[in-house]
Amino acid sequence: MSRQLRNRLFLLVSSGAVLLCTAILLFLFSVITWNGINALSPSFLLTASRSFGAEGGIFYQILGSLLMVLTAALICLPLALGAAIYKSEYLKNARLQKASAILIYGLNGIPSVIFGIFGLILFVNILNTGISWFVGAIILAIMMLPTVVLATFQAMNSIPEIYRESARALGLNHWQVVTGVLLPQGFAGAITGLLLGLARAIGETAPIMFIATAFSGIEIPHALNEPVTALPTHILALAQQATDPRALQNAWGASFVLIGLVTLFSITGLISRTKFKTVSQR
Amino acid sequence: MVMSASARVGKSYVFMSIIISTAIILLILTFLLINSWQAISEIGWGVFSSEWHPAAGKFGILAMIYGSVAVMIIALTIAIPLGIMTAVFTAEVLPAKYRFYVKSMLELLAGIPSIIYGLIGIVFLSVWIEDFFALQSGRTILAGGILLAIMVLPTVITLSDDALHNVPAKYREAARGLGLYPYEVLKSAVLPHAVNDIAGALLLALGRVLGETMAVMLVIGSIDRIPVPFLNTLLPGQTITSKLGREIAETAFGSLEFSALIFMGLLLLVFVLAFTILAQTFFYQPEQRLYE
Repeated sequence: MSRQLRNRLFLLVSSGAVLLCTAILLFLFSVITWNGINALSPSFLLTASRSFGAEGGIFYQILGSLLMVLTAALICLPLALGAAIYKSEYLKNARLQKASAILIYGLNGIPSVIFGIFGLILFVNILNTGISWFVGAIILAIMMLPTVVLATFQAMNSIPEIYRESARALGLNHWQVVTGVLLPQGFAGAITGLLLGLARAIGETAPIMFIATAFSGIEIPHALNEPVTALPTHILALAQQATDPRALQNAWGASFVLIGLVTLFSITGLISRTKFKTVSQR
Repeated sequence: MVMSASARVGKSYVFMSIIISTAIILLILTFLLINSWQAISEIGWGVFSSEWHPAAGKFGILAMIYGSVAVMIIALTIAIPLGIMTAVFTAEVLPAKYRFYVKSMLELLAGIPSIIYGLIGIVFLSVWIEDFFALQSGRTILAGGILLAIMVLPTVITLSDDALHNVPAKYREAARGLGLYPYEVLKSAVLPHAVNDIAGALLLALGRVLGETMAVMLVIGSIDRIPVPFLNTLLPGQTITSKLGREIAETAFGSLEFSALIFMGLLLLVFVLAFTILAQTFFYQPEQRLYE
């Protein structure tokens, strides 16, 4: 085969792949948007679901999802800040540094269904909490933890050494340097990490379906050990009765709202990533 | 030097935080190991048989392993060539000013929750497969594999694109200066430098495919059987994740069946962790970026 022919063939195959990917992408976006918008209405967003989700709206599912992920963020934040400070400012041994990185990256790679099983064994069975929204929030907080720790760590660790030295020269002790000089930077990183973590956590079904959610008849939980309804598990229940066109329509509506929330969190996260650049990147 | 009280409290707080954060993964592994111990000791190597029939005391997980491996092979056979060829286009051919839009699009696509892919799989993909192959039901191993390919495609494209983009421009310029065609520039100057990062990307994709639950659970048909003939993917099957997702909540805690299910989870976790850690430690610098 001549060189020129081989080059043409390569360009042809490559553009073919691009076209196929673009087609898949367009299909996904149009299906979700078209079906979603058709299912959307003010009453859909603001009323409770009825007859196992086939009628009514998704008001309490939206509230339940937000309640769970925002609580998860509050649980995750102090732990992640502390861990990132220690990793960046106190952990000087290279081997321990590497080991902690592997453990945290490993946590990030754990399949989501395993988190659900862990929650089921530890909380629901051993600690006997029952199906509880708060347990769901704890498990989602664990899932978000690596993202937030690493975002905070990167923001703090990239601060030039001169800042630490100048602060020490002013007579601040190590802890004062951490809280006064490094933490403000790290906090910006933590917010970015939290928003990206929220975008992932709110769409997760497998970690919460055994331990935190009930399907219908639940409104707002009044105690920590009560179940909640959430968007992803609601979509799961509706998808399993997809032969009913009303249930299917509501599933598309709920999916559209869920993607809207995911996009909201991730776009705010991306904005905060570009806005709060660390000192070293300015 | 004497530490002030607040410094001492602060230091123990951050120390506790890192201990908790790094111990969680060990805790998860320990809990899975303890709870699968009953199955390991009572069933032994019998777990690697092909029949799952709790009422008859048979807990063979081979059908689930087959399902997981089968969907993984189908997904990667589609996603790897398609994803890398597309990344070649976005990194080497596409003008740089469009790159931002393509990357944002891919990031958005990668963020779609897996349950929504599952919904699309139920409503469209499995129906198409049903009609195309004239099957009784389109919920098959093939449907699971194709759906996973679509899900993992954005990750493969965006990581391979990064890998190609990180190759310094001087290599391309030198190769082009020798009069090579774009294909030859790519093959002999760019790819050798990017191949390590691409391999890391593929390992991460592998881990994601193996661990994916919701989408697969909805389209695979959930029957614990190894297809006859062996390679017929147009039959319903079961993966480790779909089995766990469907059955773990209904199984009595402490029973042998529960323990056998947890053993499956442990097996899955060990493999996924091996791929993730391999990818992160050998193919990327830990500081670079977090791949999800």
